[in-house]
Amino acid sequence: MDLAYLLIIDAFGLMFATSILVYFFLKDILKERKRKD
Amino acid sequence: MNIAPVDLSIIIGYFVILFIIGYFVKRKIHGLNDYFLAGRRLTLPIFVATLVSTWYGGLLGVGEMSFSYGFVNWIVNGFFWYLVYLFFAFFLAKKIRKSNLYTIPDQLERFYDNRSRFLGAIFNFIMVSPAPYILSLGIIFNFLFGVELWITILLVAFVMVFYTIRGGFVGVVYTDVIQFVLMMIGVAMILPIAIYTYGGFDFLQSALSNPELSLGYIDTTRHLTLTGTQTTQWIIIWGFIAFWTLADPGFYQRCYAAKDDKIPKKGILLSIGFWILFDICTTFTGIYAVAASQAGLLEVESALTSYLSIAGALLPPALLGLFLTGLIATVMSTADSFTFLGAMNISHDLYKKVFRKNATDAQVIKMTKIGILISVAFAVVLSLFFDSVVDMWYYIGTIGISAMIVPILFGFFYKGKKSPLAAILSMSMGSLTALFWVTHGFLNAEYGWPVYIGGIEPLYPGLLVSLLVFVFVNIIHVRRMK
Repeated sequence: MDLAYLLIIDAFGLMFATSILVYFFLKDILKERKRKD
Repeated sequence: MNIAPVDLSIIIGYFVILFIIGYFVKRKIHGLNDYFLAGRRLTLPIFVATLVSTWYGGLLGVGEMSFSYGFVNWIVNGFFWYLVYLFFAFFLAKKIRKSNLYTIPDQLERFYDNRSRFLGAIFNFIMVSPAPYILSLGIIFNFLFGVELWITILLVAFVMVFYTIRGGFVGVVYTDVIQFVLMMIGVAMILPIAIYTYGGFDFLQSALSNPELSLGYIDTTRHLTLTGTQTTQWIIIWGFIAFWTLADPGFYQRCYAAKDDKIPKKGILLSIGFWILFDICTTFTGIYAVAASQAGLLEVESALTSYLSIAGALLPPALLGLFLTGLIATVMSTADSFTFLGAMNISHDLYKKVFRKNATDAQVIKMTKIGILISVAFAVVLSLFFDSVVDMWYYIGTIGISAMIVPILFGFFYKGKKSPLAAILSMSMGSLTALFWVTHGFLNAEYGWPVYIGGIEPLYPGLLVSLLVFVFVNIIHVRRMK
């Protein structure tokens, strides 16, 4: 297998991990809002 | 470089968002704890976003190294650092959060005395100079729009000063979240496109095997090996520079600001995952840039701007704008955090703790705002003197680490009685030795390259002297103190 596939997986893995982090960030914000309300 | 209107709009949109955040975030500030540490309320996602984005500021420098030296960049700017981050996560993070302090000089005062704080604050101020990052931003804008470097440096400084002054640390962390997303997406999208356009590993191997590069001064034949063409000493010295983490004010500040004492450890471990993925992308983007240049498929102006060249050649409009914004965000997130840390050194460590102990919170916040201006002004002057980002990192790192590492580590891990005099002398002698070594090297430079005594890099004597002085003085002085 061309090692370049690993690089592509790495790049998409980075994007995926970033979206998960943003999801939890927004979830925390919504939770905080609800708590304040 | 040709910038389409859509790309320009994305870049301008990014700056507008920074202004908006800076403007509105002020409402969240109700006191000094909010202004300095966002009320010690950082949750895990924010902790990771702000740590990853702040820590990673030298994207152009990393581009320069990957382009010039190849895969060894991942070793010296990645692997060594992960080891030190792991040490930090397992042995320091919790202790730091539990101490409930604000800065590294606070720690020095807790371990030693007020004079150690004073000296530590000065070294800290030098270490957190945003100069390399302001220079990087200046170079990016100069490259993109052809505007004079000093004008771009001043413009960047202005935007950063605005939202940092208004929002304090809250402004810094909220802008960091946006900047984190932009830098991750920007860097991750270019590598698959480079592979698709130029080819896989076969392309890299064949393009890099030609010893004569079009730029004329780089040997690329060993770019895909672990050590490249670098000497062991060069690699180890960068490994030592990774110890910077143990005295990095940004790491400490985020640990102090975490919501509880478990978040720093978890956050650093998660951040290491992001850094590994990110570093592989940046290193191979640099390698693709040099290989494409070697194969005559890409025109590169200089190693320092190689990322900009490859992005300009590969990305269509809109994606290019996104990449450039990611690149700017990477540098900007570090520049703003460092500026703020420098300002805290001035207001909290010097003004409040040394010169005016009865200052009110409002006075300290006011002094922090003045500190932001001083920190940026110092950085602007410094960045107009240096023309290499890597050089600037190297010298600031060498002198700062030689001063700070030994007293901090002894403070955390040595359980016996500690002498304040040992800390002060260790900091002064370590940094002076490194400074002397650097100056001597430059005075005897050959072909513009410093020639060090015995060929030894300045960090070794700096750290050695700092360690010996600390141990020796501590033994003698503690005996006398008894």
